Amino acid sequence: MSIDKIRVQVTGIEQVAPLIREFQLKAVDAELMPFSPGSHVVVEMPDTPRPHRNAYSLLSDPRDGGCYRIAVRLQEHSRGGSRYMHEQVKVGDELWITPPANLFSPLWQASKHILIAGGVGITPFMSYLPELEREGAHYELHYLYRGKQTGAYREQLQQSLGERCFLYDADAGARCDLRELLSDQPRGSHAYICGPQSLIAGVQEVAAELGWPASYIHFEAFAAPQPGNPFEVELSRSGRTLKVAADTSLLEALEEADVPVTSLCRGGVCGQCLTPVVSGDIEHRDEFLTAAEREKGNCMMPCVSRAAGKRLVLDL
Amino acid sequence: MRIEPLIKSRPTYAPVAVQPRAQLHLFIASDDGLPALEALIAQVSESQQEVLVFTQGATVVDTDKGIYPMAQLAETVGSALMDAPISSAVYIAGNEAFLWDIRNLARSQGFADEQIQMCEPVNNTRRLFCTHCYAITEDVTHSPHTCSGCGRWLLVRDHYSKLHAAYVGVQINAENPSELPETEELV
Repeated sequence: MSIDKIRVQVTGIEQVAPLIREFQLKAVDAELMPFSPGSHVVVEMPDTPRPHRNAYSLLSDPRDGGCYRIAVRLQEHSRGGSRYMHEQVKVGDELWITPPANLFSPLWQASKHILIAGGVGITPFMSYLPELEREGAHYELHYLYRGKQTGAYREQLQQSLGERCFLYDADAGARCDLRELLSDQPRGSHAYICGPQSLIAGVQEVAAELGWPASYIHFEAFAAPQPGNPFEVELSRSGRTLKVAADTSLLEALEEADVPVTSLCRGGVCGQCLTPVVSGDIEHRDEFLTAAEREKGNCMMPCVSRAAGKRLVLDL
Repeated sequence: MRIEPLIKSRPTYAPVAVQPRAQLHLFIASDDGLPALEALIAQVSESQQEVLVFTQGATVVDTDKGIYPMAQLAETVGSALMDAPISSAVYIAGNEAFLWDIRNLARSQGFADEQIQMCEPVNNTRRLFCTHCYAITEDVTHSPHTCSGCGRWLLVRDHYSKLHAAYVGVQINAENPSELPETEELV
């Protein structure tokens, strides 16, 4: 990674939902800096045989540089990162994180902010809320979760937000009617979604049907590279050939081989890791490249995208 | 002396089409812009449309028919926009300054750019913004042109300010302003 990492110590761990743990992080060498609402950090976990690097939203008050808080949901099909956080990390441990970066900040010109969280997708909104309050902004929170797995912070949210907080516990049979939610919202409203892809797609579809402007819908998906078929990658400049295993991303394979690639979100949205491709078919899985750019087939986002065949040649 | 042929800020206008999912269609035109919208207006059911026409005097003012004096533009459009739901579409026709004035009003009322469509301007008249005294001069067709505020001769550039809905004008021949180049018609 090309930005200076921060050494932090885990000063507290709390089970905030059946499958979600919160970690409090304090800087070891210096002060942490305030951040903007919606920011995330990438946590580096020194696991074997290879380290994990996962992005987590900061859920503390953006103006509080004393301590960062993140929440990690244990993923059933964990590639190792969330399991490591849940099972290995103890109070007192040290970890490295990147400085906060933000790909999901509120749009302050909105007449109203409609926050839609799915499960652990509540985390970025935890940092929105103090700032929306300070700004005196018009907002409401819709929180969809499964009470047997997620639903962290819901009591405190309901208490502090009152009528502006709408809870939908699917395990208790409560459903969110997206059509009702998005109808009759005032002009100039912006909607923000953080949650699984299905929730994001659902909101986008209903909003489009209702005639919402697409540019007023903002979203952040859970950014984890999905496994695929193993393949080989040749680096045309150095002549090296690397193997990319089924559950390893191309970016991780490059990093393991000490090939420097700038990265930020590690989830196919920010565009930082854009890598030129010399030859080979690409399976694009990112949200960054346009259809026309994909068509050309001369670049890819190695954080999530893979080879469509057995081999790729990169201009690295 | 030639005006720079291609400046990125100069707006271009794509064909205008009815946005099928909008629940309210607002058609806003000057009287000479209205013909450009008529085919679109015909495609939208009457219960879902509002047509506002503004006239400088050539057409008779008749607010029952939605024809208003140009002097009431900001007030009339402002209240129509204020009542519009989030799923509205705005279609505008008129000269370029008219288009962008309405667009800026709509933006300030929470409309997104993709909800606002502008027809090709009905003529080549330009609103001119003086970079020296900030005065606005309307209906400019030639360059150089005198500023209505400070009287300087201004080179009318192709550089467009969306904020001012105007082209930028700068002192011509700043070294020797008495030396005036030949007047050129703006396109």
